[in-house]
This record gives sequence, structure tokens and C-alpha cells, in this order.
Amino acid sequence: MAENPDHSNAPKPVLQLKSQKFRDARQGDWRLLNAQLDKAERDGLKSFSIDELLNLPVLYRSAMSSLSMAQSISLDRNLITYLQTLCARAYVYIYGPQTRLKEVLSSFFVRAWPRGFRALGLELILAFVLFFGGAILGWVLCAQDDTWYHFFLPGELRSVDSSVNDLKETIGGNTEDSALSPFAVFLMGHNTQVAIMAFAFGIMFGLPTFALLIYNGIPMGAMLWLFASKGLGVEFAAWLSIHGTTELFAIIIAGACGLHVGRRLIFPGDQPRRESLIGAGRLTGTVMIGVAAMLTVAGCLEGFGRQLITESWARFSIGGAMLVLWLVYFFFVGRERRHG
Amino acid sequence: MAKPAKRDLMSDAPYGEYGRTATLISTPEGVILPFINASFGERLGALLIDFLIMAAIPIVLLIVWVILPMEHFKEDHKAASSIMQVLGLAAWFFVRSGYFIFFEMGPKAATPGKRALKLRVVAHDGGRLTPAAVFTRNALREVELYIPLGLILGGASGTGNPMLSLMAFLWALALVLLPLFNKQHARLGDFLAGTRVIHMPKASLSYDLADLEGDARIGLTFTPEQLAYGEMELQVLEQVLRERKPAVMRAVADKIKARISWQAPKNSADMPSDETFLRAYYGALRAWLEGKMLMGKRRKDKHEAALT
Repeated sequence: MAENPDHSNAPKPVLQLKSQKFRDARQGDWRLLNAQLDKAERDGLKSFSIDELLNLPVLYRSAMSSLSMAQSISLDRNLITYLQTLCARAYVYIYGPQTRLKEVLSSFFVRAWPRGFRALGLELILAFVLFFGGAILGWVLCAQDDTWYHFFLPGELRSVDSSVNDLKETIGGNTEDSALSPFAVFLMGHNTQVAIMAFAFGIMFGLPTFALLIYNGIPMGAMLWLFASKGLGVEFAAWLSIHGTTELFAIIIAGACGLHVGRRLIFPGDQPRRESLIGAGRLTGTVMIGVAAMLTVAGCLEGFGRQLITESWARFSIGGAMLVLWLVYFFFVGRERRHG
Repeated sequence: MAKPAKRDLMSDAPYGEYGRTATLISTPEGVILPFINASFGERLGALLIDFLIMAAIPIVLLIVWVILPMEHFKEDHKAASSIMQVLGLAAWFFVRSGYFIFFEMGPKAATPGKRALKLRVVAHDGGRLTPAAVFTRNALREVELYIPLGLILGGASGTGNPMLSLMAFLWALALVLLPLFNKQHARLGDFLAGTRVIHMPKASLSYDLADLEGDARIGLTFTPEQLAYGEMELQVLEQVLRERKPAVMRAVADKIKARISWQAPKNSADMPSDETFLRAYYGALRAWLEGKMLMGKRRKDKHEAALT
């Protein structure tokens, strides 16, 4: 660059590349964004003042534009690597899994979950038929030949030879003083496991989900038969219904999710199989979080309700009320308004 | 697919890390950001760390149980002991099903094991990582690992069906190795949930190597014919200059001098050091290539035709 003799007093322009001038003009913003990200990761967004908070997206967008600019004018590898890392960090922070808890909860319970449930449609009916088909199978087989009972429920306390009184005792109130029994928590964990398995097996084309639903229906049918044959059918159904309407409903929904994944895997329709699988995963993942919530409710009902409420009619009414509540919730909450 | 004949340094080595592949994610602003895929080894390491932590929780609880004088506790405080049991069971339940979900839903989107190896989970389409996606990718661990593992252990201890445990072993092996057979090292749960695990390196902004002013003072100049390299060689040269290993700089300087048939100054006192020479050459080459780049002309490496 030639010196201009007329302006020898003026400061001589420094010989610089365009990419260097670009860097000098912008690097203050980059360093500021970097410092803000460090601060946000360390102390959270609560430590930010209003101005800093408003400035954060501005800095993020400026870094993003710097990156696309730098990629077309600079060959300084260190600079580009730095900008890529900075933008990636800012990106995952700004688009990370953070929303206000209240918004997450309301959008989930008011819209996402019931809508996801309704989207399952036929799979729900299929899961329902499989589970109760299993129960009927258990009942019918045991009614034919009562040795089946021990085959289905080996080592079960309540056997064919138990007296009516023994059976009555097992479904009566708890004589101990602890309301929240560890057994209830254990059972809840077990049922959650069954639900997760029924869902996750969907990835094996849903076939194990079929088997799992039937397999979990059979012992219930067998037990119902046992109690019914001793004239305790109504009492047993009441004992089962208080938490069962919620819990079995949850397991059936989980099974339906598994079947849905299996169906979308086998018949992807117009989409590529990978896209179809992602769509199915997103839908069923949402519904499954709700299933976990349902199982928690069932666990609470089981822990408190089943041992404290011993009247059959009270048990039936609580179980029935829960069932109606779930059905109303799933069919009427979060419907899109139709226009015109 | 045919192997590309020419290497593109930027895509071969995202963030300057060689031998790794990147997932390109288009942000809502329309900028395409490369994210380094977590390698199979890193993912396995993170999983092992997480398993160690998960195994430590019940062990610590057991030790506490043994150390505390609890023999008469059960008889004395029935209600309290049942609450303790409930808490213990809840902890076990959390460890198995909730550990991964809890940590990956947090702001860092990573379990402690992943954090230790600088990994995190992102949505592969560039959108927000949703709780549903986190749930799905971790629920799939049941089929991928836990259930087959249970069957294998059952077979090994002689209680299970050996045929079944062999099948479970093959199934688990296939799924554990699945990340090796796709470019993004995604496992089955990642495919179903639409997530990827990425590696987040830390990079710092170093100084700019080109110092045209200083080079002009020394008087080291090069003709366009002498600037006979492309972008890839420029970046290798940058790396050499940042590492500053004398032996490497000597070798590189000698090679360049031979290629461009550089005339050494007559007076040996004027002979620039290797580093000075390389920095001057770097500055001149970068100025030349960047100048052409602004006009839309690029030269990837020395095998491409020279720019005019």
C-alpha cells in the first residue's frame, strides 16, 4: 500500500487483510458472548440483568452471521474453528431443553398428551382386546381344568385349596398401621417396568408386545376365576378396580404405543422408514410420559386407597370414578377448535 | 459410493479434530453448523461411568444401613422403618429408570458420564430437544441392554434357558455394535427419538498469524508463481506455525524453499529463521488465496490448477 505524501501527518493505514479487519471489528462481541455463556452455564440465567438478557440473542445472532461471513472470506482455520465452537455452544444453550416448568406442564397435560392418545386410535382397541382376550383365556382355561391355575401362577399364596376366609383376608384392609406400604412401591416399579417393556418391544416389530399384553392378561383372568369360583368374584373385582382401572388402562396405553411403533416400522406409508420411525417415536414418547404419570396415580391409589377403604361399593365407586375421569380427560381435553 | 479423490480439510477434520465425522445441523437462523459425532469409544466410556455411579448408589445405601445401629430400629419404629424401605425402593427405581431421563432433561442435556467426556444430546433436526425425545431414547435402553442382560445373566447362572440367553446375547451384541455401523454413531434409541449424541470441544481464539506489516519490513516477498499451494496446505502450515516444533518447521521450510526455488540472500546474516520465513510465506499465501476467494475463485489444494 503506497503512502500518500499529502497526508503524512495522518496515521499511516495499517497493512491488513480484509479477514483481519473483519476479525478486529467483531472479536469483542465474540469474547463477550463467550463470557456470557460461561456465566450462564455456571450461574444460570437468573444472574443476568435485564440488559444482559436482552443482549444475549443479539450476540448470538451476530456470532452466527460472523460465522457465515468468516466462512466466505477467511482462511484462518483457528478463527473458523473458534466461531463454530462458539456458535455451537450458544446454539445448544439457546435451543436447549429449557422452558418454564409451568408452560411445559400445561402444554403437556392440556394438549400434547390427550392429543397423542387420540392419535393412537385403533392400536388402543387392539391392545385392549389383546389384554382382556388374555384375561378371558386365563378364566376359560382355569374353568376347564383347575391345574392351569398353578401353571399360570406358580408359587402364588392364593391357591385353589385356599379356604374362602383365607381368600377374603388377602383382599381385606391392611391390619398394620402403615398406609404407604413398601409393597405398593414395589408393585408400582414392577408395573412401570411392564409398561416400558410393552412400549420398547415395539421396536422389534411389535410382536413381543402382543405376547406381553396377553401374558399379563392371563393371570388376572385366572385369579378372577379363582375368586369367582369361591363366591368372592364381586369383592375381588372391587379390590382390583380401585387402582386397576387406572393401572390397567396405563398398561394398555403403553401396549398401544408399542404396537404403534411396530406398525409404523412395518408399514411406513409414504414416508421413508427412518422418518416414519422418528414420527412414531415422538408421538409415543409423549404418550409414555403420561403413562408414567398414570402409574404414579395408580401407585398412590394402591398404597392409600386399597388398604384403607374396605367396603366393596366404595372401592367400586372410586375405581369407576377414576375410569370416567380418564375417559373424559382423554376424549374431551385439548380438542382443536373447528372453524366454519 | 466412490471415495472422493481430493481431501477437503474442513470437512475431513471438523473443528480441527482429524478422523471424526460431523452431523450438519441447520439452525433456525439458516446457518449450517457442524457438530462432531461422539465416537463409539466416548459413548461406551460415558455409559461405563454412568453405570459405575448407578452401582455406587445402592452400595452407599447398603453401607449406611450396615454402619448405623439398626438392629432394633425395625421393632421400635414400625412406621419409620417402612418409610425407609419405601425410600430405598424408590431410589432403586430411580436408578434404573429415571437416572438418564432426569439428567438429560436438565439444561446440560447430559448425564454425569457424558458431561465428563464433553458429550451432550441434541435433536438431529436442529429443533429443541423435547422431554418426549429424551424419554423415548432412554426407554429403548430396556430392549437394547437391560432385558437381554437379564436373560444372559439368567442363562449364565443356570436358571434360564440357554438357547434364549444365546439369542439375547446376539441381539444385545448387534444393538451395542449398531453405532459402529452408521456415520453418526447413533444407537437404536437415537433413531427412534430423532436425537444424536455430539461431542462439544472447547476452542480458544488464538492470535492471527498473518503479519503483513512485519513481513514488508523484513522484505520477504513472493511472486504469484511462488505461491503454488492451496487452502489445505495453508491450513497445515497454520497448524505447524501454531505448534512451533523446530524440527517440523525446519523440514517444512526446506520443502517449501525447494518447491518454489527460493533464492536465499547472499549475505548469511540476512538469512531469515525458519519461523520467520514460514510466517512470511503463510501471510503472503493467505493474502493471495483470500484475495482470490473474494472473487469467488478457490483452490482446494496444490493438485488443483493454479489461480490466475
